[in-house]
Amino acid sequence: MMCGQAKEWIAASWTGELDEAAEAKLRRHLLSCPECAGEMSQLGGVWERMADLPTPEPSQAMRVRWESTLESLMANRKSTSWRFTLASLWPERPVWQATIAASCLVLGLAAGMLLQKPGDRREIATLREEIASTREMVALSLLQQQSATERLRGVDYTQRMPSMEPQVVSALIDAVQHDENVNVRLAAIDALGKVSRDAKVRQSLTHSLAAEQSPMVQAALIDYAADAGDPHASETLQRLSQRPDVNPAVRQRASKALSELTRYR
Amino acid sequence: MVAVSRGNLASMSEIYQHRHSSLFRFFFRLTGRQTVAEDLTHEVFLRMIRYRHTYQSGDGFEAWMYRIARNAFADQLKKHRFETPAPEDFDTADKGALTPFESAVKRQELALLHRALRELPDDKRELIVLSRFQGLSYEQIGQIVGCETGTAKVRVFRAVKEMSGIFLALQKEKAS
Repeated sequence: MMCGQAKEWIAASWTGELDEAAEAKLRRHLLSCPECAGEMSQLGGVWERMADLPTPEPSQAMRVRWESTLESLMANRKSTSWRFTLASLWPERPVWQATIAASCLVLGLAAGMLLQKPGDRREIATLREEIASTREMVALSLLQQQSATERLRGVDYTQRMPSMEPQVVSALIDAVQHDENVNVRLAAIDALGKVSRDAKVRQSLTHSLAAEQSPMVQAALIDYAADAGDPHASETLQRLSQRPDVNPAVRQRASKALSELTRYR
Repeated sequence: MVAVSRGNLASMSEIYQHRHSSLFRFFFRLTGRQTVAEDLTHEVFLRMIRYRHTYQSGDGFEAWMYRIARNAFADQLKKHRFETPAPEDFDTADKGALTPFESAVKRQELALLHRALRELPDDKRELIVLSRFQGLSYEQIGQIVGCETGTAKVRVFRAVKEMSGIFLALQKEKAS
């Protein structure tokens, strides 16, 4: 028998985990192996003496502290038990979290499509019309304000409209022709860019160009005519490019626009 | 513990009743300090609640509890390394009819034995505490420290041998 095996048996004998057969084998080995016999005696003695070491006891304060902790844990758990339950349902892995979020989105879209009634679309269309009408009213109202800032807001409102009603177009043309503030006039020209295909609008702005005194607004109107490719603006541009009282930069711009219109004609 | 793992925290009170003393002694033998041992015992019961979902009814409760206890002790060592103090005196009053001289010899012997135990490295002291003082089987010790039962027996044997060597050296030192 190997001494290594004897070490296991010696350790087992200390705790009473050695069966009779193994005990008999250990005894035989100890008779033939003085080294193991010496260890058995010496270490067994130490093992036995350890029983005399004092046994410590916990204090009463420890128990009181625990009881208080457990009580507060249980009280806290009662008040938040439903939150614990919900939280425990939520997975910790980000992959599952993303999967659940995507599933919820798909389910929501599917439910929305299934639950939508034919009448809902009509209602939505009506609602959109009402919103557009309200925007129009607000824009027209703002364009009538005394404050230039408010009128600028009105122009800005018209630019947000998906389509422009004739009343709004008229109000913007009126602003280009008669608003005393240069910035409002410039903003109105920009807003009318959406309806540059409308011949009446182009015509109105060409008339404005003839009457306009501000070089900046003149330049903006020249650009508008050039971008719109309005052939009826040629005559006005021709006259403007030759007027000595007009800003040289504006005259130059008018000449350039005129040559562009001639080229595309 | 099955009831606790299912959410019945009130059952923890019963577990505490049966286990807190032995757990306290485990920590006291390892640290030699009453307050540290009490704090660690408290921490282990809190961790048992926190990690109750990791308990499986098929596994031994003792092994599960001591694994938590070992982790708590390891965390404590990371925060604070402390020397195990020597006890001031050992009571030998219940050792029968000992003469004053025999009683003094006995007290001295126990003091040296205690010193030999605390001079062991932590892992070896832990093995002796688990087998000699906590009364766990080698199979349980193997489950706790993560080795085979036979390996646990050999490790305990070597730990006791090392402790015995320290004890004999201390005795010689005292005699000279």
